[in-house]
Amino acid sequence: MVAPSREELLDLSENAISFALKKGADEAEAIAYRGSTTSIGIERGQIAKTSRTVDLGLGIRTIIGKAVGFAYTNILGSRTAIEDAILKSLSSARASKPDKEWQGLPAKRSFASVENVYDKRIVELESEDLVKIASVMLDAAIATDSRANPVEGGVNASCSSVAVANSNGVVGFELGTIVECGLVTVGNDAGDVTPVCFEFNSERSFDIDPEWVGKEAARLAVSALKAKNVETKTCKVIFTQTALQELLYFTLINAVRADFVQRDQSVFKGKIGEKLASETITINDDGLLDGGLRTSRFDAEGVPQQRTPIMEKGILRGFIYDNYTAKKEGKESTGNAARMWYLSTPTVEATNFHILGGNRSPEKLVDEVDDGLIVYLLQGAHSSNPASGDFSVVATPAWKIEKGEVVYAAKNVMLVGNVFQMLKNVMALANNERKLSQLVAPWMLVENVKVIGK
Amino acid sequence: MKGVLCKAIDAGVKSGAEYVEVRAQKLFTTMLTIKEDRVEAAKHGIEEGTAIRVLVKGSWGFASIGAPNTETLIEAVLDSCKMAKAASSRLKDPIRLDETKAVEDKVVLNPRKHPSEISIEDKIRTTLDMSNAAMAYDGRVRNCTVDYLDLSGTNFFMNNAGTYIEQDKLYVWSRVAATASEAGVFTFSREEIGSTAGYEVFDVEDPKKVGETVAKRAVEQLSAKPPRGGVFPVILGPRVVGTFAHEAFGHLAEADLTLSGSVLVDKLGKKIASDAVTLYDDGTIADAFGSFKYDDEGIPAQKTQLIRDGVVVSLMHNLETAHKFNVKPTGNARAEDFRVEPIIRMRNTFLEPKDYCFEDLIEGIRFGYYLRSVRGGQANVDGTFQVGIEEAYEIVDGELGKSLRDVSISGNTLDTLLKVDAVGKDLELSPGRCGKGQTAFVCDGGPHIRVKEMLVGGSA
Repeated sequence: MVAPSREELLDLSENAISFALKKGADEAEAIAYRGSTTSIGIERGQIAKTSRTVDLGLGIRTIIGKAVGFAYTNILGSRTAIEDAILKSLSSARASKPDKEWQGLPAKRSFASVENVYDKRIVELESEDLVKIASVMLDAAIATDSRANPVEGGVNASCSSVAVANSNGVVGFELGTIVECGLVTVGNDAGDVTPVCFEFNSERSFDIDPEWVGKEAARLAVSALKAKNVETKTCKVIFTQTALQELLYFTLINAVRADFVQRDQSVFKGKIGEKLASETITINDDGLLDGGLRTSRFDAEGVPQQRTPIMEKGILRGFIYDNYTAKKEGKESTGNAARMWYLSTPTVEATNFHILGGNRSPEKLVDEVDDGLIVYLLQGAHSSNPASGDFSVVATPAWKIEKGEVVYAAKNVMLVGNVFQMLKNVMALANNERKLSQLVAPWMLVENVKVIGK
Repeated sequence: MKGVLCKAIDAGVKSGAEYVEVRAQKLFTTMLTIKEDRVEAAKHGIEEGTAIRVLVKGSWGFASIGAPNTETLIEAVLDSCKMAKAASSRLKDPIRLDETKAVEDKVVLNPRKHPSEISIEDKIRTTLDMSNAAMAYDGRVRNCTVDYLDLSGTNFFMNNAGTYIEQDKLYVWSRVAATASEAGVFTFSREEIGSTAGYEVFDVEDPKKVGETVAKRAVEQLSAKPPRGGVFPVILGPRVVGTFAHEAFGHLAEADLTLSGSVLVDKLGKKIASDAVTLYDDGTIADAFGSFKYDDEGIPAQKTQLIRDGVVVSLMHNLETAHKFNVKPTGNARAEDFRVEPIIRMRNTFLEPKDYCFEDLIEGIRFGYYLRSVRGGQANVDGTFQVGIEEAYEIVDGELGKSLRDVSISGNTLDTLLKVDAVGKDLELSPGRCGKGQTAFVCDGGPHIRVKEMLVGGSA
């Protein structure tokens, strides 16, 4: 992998801004991005494929009379193609309607520093190195139990560099790396097929444990065999991070987005300062989290990222904003603009949505359940009611807990309830925080969850 | 373009690849996001890129580069051969492909209204019409988001079997989503439009009506009640049947997922559904959102019968799985763009209509539910599925009763297919987007059907 050049991307964005201003833009913003990813793919128990993708492009947002236009291109070898894209952005701004709420692009502010977002060792990984990592993971799974089929998985190493600049003098450049390995397993024993089980590691520094991932993915699949029906009742449920991610992404995380609040789509509207969750819940949106998957000095509009308190001991403290939604309320952006790099305009997104861990070990959490479930994945969370938080989901894989012991896998289990109600019923959090996309969270023990069995 | 691709293919063959394919694209997009009466941004995209796939010693190598020249392209081919060799060191079961026939073709689309010839002002007007109609429908409609996308361009495909295809791409898509709320109750509704015909899709789908439909559904749910959970007879409308056909059954019949251990793995040729069930995945329906002439391995799209009278008769294949099952590829290999490799995807998936009219379906039900439109669905390879419902009604003594909200259905796909006891004579296809690591434009649908027993879950 060739390390991308800082000057190349900064020049691209700054030249684009000058050209846009010269051609009549009132304001202009450019984002130049280069991402490269090397991957190894596992299919049906063997390393079967490898890939390398390089994506380089430029996105330009222009504003004329409060109307916003945007264009992108990845044809950067030719000056004409770049200028064409900028002119397209200008012509879409001219064709668009003025937005009376538009109050300008972000102003220049200084960035805080961040740790552990870039590791040269990841950039230097060759496909042979990734084959070795994948082999360790696969061998560990196979050696654990022959009934666990490692159906798919892989190893990815990626490096991205992004430059953001605007006509208010904002200039930012950031290099980042991510390495991840993951394995999907299905247990199969004489026709007894388990649901999909999954384990992974995802880190900004070259610090992953493929052997643990392989073993754990296999252990889960085997323990999901011989699943039994459970009875319908209201009981305690432990949600692991993967289940929480699915449950909270469209509900709690959306409910604290300023655009959702402003557009009457959030049950949290007008409730700052109110106690809306159990005392165990403290949440920060932490754009500066050490080694966080979404950590960066600045967001996709060049606004400094920060740590924003969302909930403190159950009391709602704040929402997350991008530049547009913040200015609408006369506030400063919290640095939560995200975009599909050069391909899109910004939207409000959480950075590292950090639910702070408690002080119990995960074993201790299980020990506190006399009769309940531990749930790893949910089906149907994205078809829940995102605004009200009502959900009705299939919990699979899930395991039954009796007298503090995980006793058997549970099948045909539905969980029914409301996410916001559930937050009030959180009894305890474990001390096993993990990073999973936007979520950083521990296992969560919730009481009074309605379980519908068969 | 052809000459450049030839050189790339030669370079791959010379470095020992058994199979080489190169897929170059030029793509143009227009996107709009409307929030209430506000145009968030009018957006344009111009891009070029090339995807390369090689098979070396039974192992795949893939590379994607943007806007290449001959030199960078050949470099990427050599690099992917080298990477594939590295990956093959651990291979127990080398990948082989079905031998393809060479095809030379040029597919030119001539829509009546090509989106590139429609002004952006016109597109803004159309999308604002949808949003304004939704917002004006009722004061309880709190917001409305309209997304619009048109994508056009050309695919240049070549492989070392001698196939060279130039194929135009054309998609027009829009989604209208609205939220309504009243007294702490939030409801949500959405509608999608999608076509491979051209901008003329808006002559068929009146933008104002689409906006009103979305708003009406959201508002009606406000006064609806959550259902009584349990096992009941249900009538599924075409949209729910489509989501079920796609999510609950379709994914299991994608041969890559079948091989990964889906519950269909040992069911080929066996009866898994009631006699009334015949199901297709069809890439040949004119103008449908999931149609195309050639897939991204250069195989002609076809109408693939997956279930005939309750028996699984075929899976959906690419070159690799076709070889494994010793059958012909079905033209289901699709790639979202040059950034990703082709994988097995559905096209237009639907249940074949039979002979019941709606009145006959509902007649004998003393208590049950009529499930009309969907919020989304999800399934697992073990055959469990969950579908969230937007619009639903009670059925009491053979008549439609009060409306319901936040209904969901779940169960096991194979159990459910056996319980389909009557299939209607209507047919409706709905466009949508399917995610499997990358996005594919698809349709799904069917007639109204009756299922004897279905687990219906509601709110707590």
